[in-house]
Amino acid sequence: MTNSVQLTDVKKAFNGHEVIKGVSLEVKKGELVVFVGPSGCGKSTLLRLIAGLDTPTSGEIHISGKDVTYAHPSKRGVAMVFQSYALYPHMTVADNIAFALKIQGLPRAEIEAKVAEVAEILQLTALLRRRPKALSGGQRQRVAIGRAIVRQPDVFLFDEPLSNLDASLRGQMRVEIARLHARLGATSVYVTHDQVEAMTLADKIVVLNGGHIEQVGSPMELYRRPANLFVARFIGSPNMNVLTAKLKGATADRVMLETPQGEITIPRTGVRAEAGAEVRLGLRPENLHIVSDGQAAVLRGGVLRGHVVLVERLGGETFAYVALLGFDQEPVIIKLSGEADLHTHQEVALAMDADRAHLFDVAGLALGQAVGGDHV
Amino acid sequence: MASSMSQASKSQAPEAGWRKHLPVINALLRYGVLILIGFLMLYPLLWMIGGSFKNNHEIFSTIGFIPKEPTLDGVVNGWKTSTEYSFATYLLNTFRIVIPKVIVTVISSVVVAYGFARFAIPGRKYLFALLMATVLLPKSVLLIPQYLMFREFGWLDTYLPLYIPQAFAVEGFFVFMIIQFMRSLPLEMEEAAVMDGCNSFQVLTLIVAPVILPAIIAVALFQFMWSMNDFLQPLIYLSSVEKYPVALALKMSIDVTEATSWNEILAMSSIAIAPSLILFFAAQKYFVDGITSGAVKG
Amino acid sequence: MWPGWRSVRLWGAIMYNNRLIGSLYIVPFIIGFLLFTAFPFVASFVLSLTDARLQDQLGAANFTGLANYGEMAGDATFQKSLGVTFFYVFVTVPLKLAFALFIAVVLNFKLRGIGFFRTAFYLPSILGGSVAIAVVWRFVFAGDGLINQALGAVGFGGVNWLGEPDTAMFSIVLLRLWQFGSAMVVFLAGLKAIPEDLYEAADLDGASRFKQFWMITLPLLTPVLFFNFIMQIVQAFQEFNGPYIITAGGPLKSSYLLPLMIYEEAFKYFNLGYSSALSWVLFVIIAIFTAVAFWSQKHWVFYAQERDDQKGGH
Repeated sequence: MTNSVQLTDVKKAFNGHEVIKGVSLEVKKGELVVFVGPSGCGKSTLLRLIAGLDTPTSGEIHISGKDVTYAHPSKRGVAMVFQSYALYPHMTVADNIAFALKIQGLPRAEIEAKVAEVAEILQLTALLRRRPKALSGGQRQRVAIGRAIVRQPDVFLFDEPLSNLDASLRGQMRVEIARLHARLGATSVYVTHDQVEAMTLADKIVVLNGGHIEQVGSPMELYRRPANLFVARFIGSPNMNVLTAKLKGATADRVMLETPQGEITIPRTGVRAEAGAEVRLGLRPENLHIVSDGQAAVLRGGVLRGHVVLVERLGGETFAYVALLGFDQEPVIIKLSGEADLHTHQEVALAMDADRAHLFDVAGLALGQAVGGDHV
Repeated sequence: MASSMSQASKSQAPEAGWRKHLPVINALLRYGVLILIGFLMLYPLLWMIGGSFKNNHEIFSTIGFIPKEPTLDGVVNGWKTSTEYSFATYLLNTFRIVIPKVIVTVISSVVVAYGFARFAIPGRKYLFALLMATVLLPKSVLLIPQYLMFREFGWLDTYLPLYIPQAFAVEGFFVFMIIQFMRSLPLEMEEAAVMDGCNSFQVLTLIVAPVILPAIIAVALFQFMWSMNDFLQPLIYLSSVEKYPVALALKMSIDVTEATSWNEILAMSSIAIAPSLILFFAAQKYFVDGITSGAVKG
Repeated sequence: MWPGWRSVRLWGAIMYNNRLIGSLYIVPFIIGFLLFTAFPFVASFVLSLTDARLQDQLGAANFTGLANYGEMAGDATFQKSLGVTFFYVFVTVPLKLAFALFIAVVLNFKLRGIGFFRTAFYLPSILGGSVAIAVVWRFVFAGDGLINQALGAVGFGGVNWLGEPDTAMFSIVLLRLWQFGSAMVVFLAGLKAIPEDLYEAADLDGASRFKQFWMITLPLLTPVLFFNFIMQIVQAFQEFNGPYIITAGGPLKSSYLLPLMIYEEAFKYFNLGYSSALSWVLFVIIAIFTAVAFWSQKHWVFYAQERDDQKGGH
């Protein structure tokens, strides 16, 4: 089965400045792929290249098997939902949705039927006669989506559709989009800078940085096995804690690290690095736990000591910032339950889930893999 | 304790005495100035309209603009004009010039503005500079060659020289105004139209033009007003009286009716400005918005 | 530096990369510019170097070099016309701008009925350029016209406005001043664009109203002032209707503005060559004024920072 979207070594430069530096990826039919990354990483540009609003400097774009690299946007089998919805203010909701069909020259009866159908799916039937300015943000967004659906494209393109909504609405709409995708099963490319949207909506995530792909994988893959430090820190909130350490030695299934607090052992295989090399140890906030001194004595190695500098209570959970003894860097964040009894300046001992630890070399690339199969 | 507290409250007391009335004095002064000047400004117009209904003797004997002995003589005779054609002919002629001119101005301005606003035209910056230069160019320097050119075309004594140039977006001011409005539109809306299958012309006519309608109306109104007042152009191109617009007819009338029938002339003037007056009151908002967008947004 | 030059600089986003189609869109402008502006512009200069006559075919004209310009130098009528024109511009432009600004400031207040006043002041500028108003003006200044009647009512004797060389100019000056409404509306918009917070901050700092006007209002109005100034100068130099209809340039050429002379030389005396030379002199004068104004911009026109800069600044 042909992939719905295929990018082959796509490059894009503006005025000599390269923004997309050779991207190749594929989107399978029915997949919802999310392009995510910090501002300026090129995700929107990439989306526009797929849409046809811009053409690549080099490389090829295929949609449903056809080469559309230089094709007109309306002839690519794509439909786009814009960040600002881009509704036509002088037309009713019904006309907005019907517009593309009118341009195609479909007979009126057919247009009306299709518009009614789409309005039904998105619960817009009551609003069909209204103008965009009489709609709420969420309603406008649904009209924008409706406008895309009615064209029955091969691929849906979403350009940060939730950024313009306030936080509470964002959550609601996210759920609606997820439901819609489940119902329609449409191939979608979704751009966002919000990794929560990425994690919750995506079948597959493409992490972009500075115009090239950092990693492609399912949300859990990216979470559990980030290919590099950038992905590790980008995915997951709060960010992963990264500690600097030195590689003391490695065996087939474990790695010994030299830290200011002594030696730490982590299960890890396939680590190819020299002894004495500087490495980065990654620990997610939920993989650090406070243990009593008694328990700490029992655990050999893998206990970090420090004192609490800040406690953030969110009700359902608590985040504590702990400055580690001897480590000359930012405090680590640990995640605790909402009832955690903690105060600043408190001395704590932290135990880690060593099997969930991550290791990166000084350049940021992941070293080795976790032992004993994937926890994905 | 008590005394210091009362002292404190005294110093905090809001403007005591006459200062309290400052805002009111301010307002009164302003109103006073505005009413006085407003009255002086509008008086000539009132006098003109009022004079249309006076008899000739009264015009020159009383200042008041309300006729003591109203009469329709001035209006009736003024309408007939002392020429072979009635005012109706002249009004019709005026519209024969102004309406095509407005239509053609709007179309060409919108089209050219879209080119400037949304296309990567080679040398766009320089061409735009050229456009702005035409706004400031004194038209008097072009007068004679244009006349000779139209003479060569055989267009003398026709209406063509009066509106054909406008088909070519020669009014830089209007193009500039529309460009500003277009640039303020979100690009995404036009991109959505492109994705919906529109070519650039469809985007312009189906999406952009309707959305910037206020600007288009403003252009139409301004061009209408300016064209109604246009005198020099018809003066040099038209020689047949039957083709005269109101402006020329009016001038001709005061040459003809030398020392008599002022009320007729005032009546004719009143009728002449009536269309502009009506339109102005009906569409004030567009006038003000239009002229200010050109100045302030730029 | 012209109104809108900033928008040229800031033009980034292009919608369509198709240069061919884009060029098609502006083809009307190109044709119009070449045919109705550029060509006549050059032709005008060429004509000014000939002795062309209106009634003859063009071919009959002889090339006379700068003879027309030489004739101008010695032409007393031209000198009078030039002097009168300069007087007209130097009197009306500052007065009109000052008055427009004054009324705009008075009007810039939360008054009820502000719309009514704005209409009342703006209306004359809409109608003022028309023949109808010019005709009425002739009556207003006639021997027993409105002005003299008003003067009589307060005990002054009448003045022969249009009959005396000294006073004829006054009528067309007043006509132009009467039309200050359009400049006023622009000033109003400029005033409204000044954020309230600036005045509030100044109040807190203890600045008087007058000081506020001088230090806040005026500097921030300079772009609008500049725009109005340029437009008024260019228009004032080209005033035609008033002199033609009200005074016919007289008496004794005391209101014989240059545009009127250009017209009469061409269409009354049929001296195309001379008239073209006159129009070129007028053009050069206007161009010089405009150029000096633009050049002087950086010394007195204060353009507020662009929004994006402000975002960073806050």
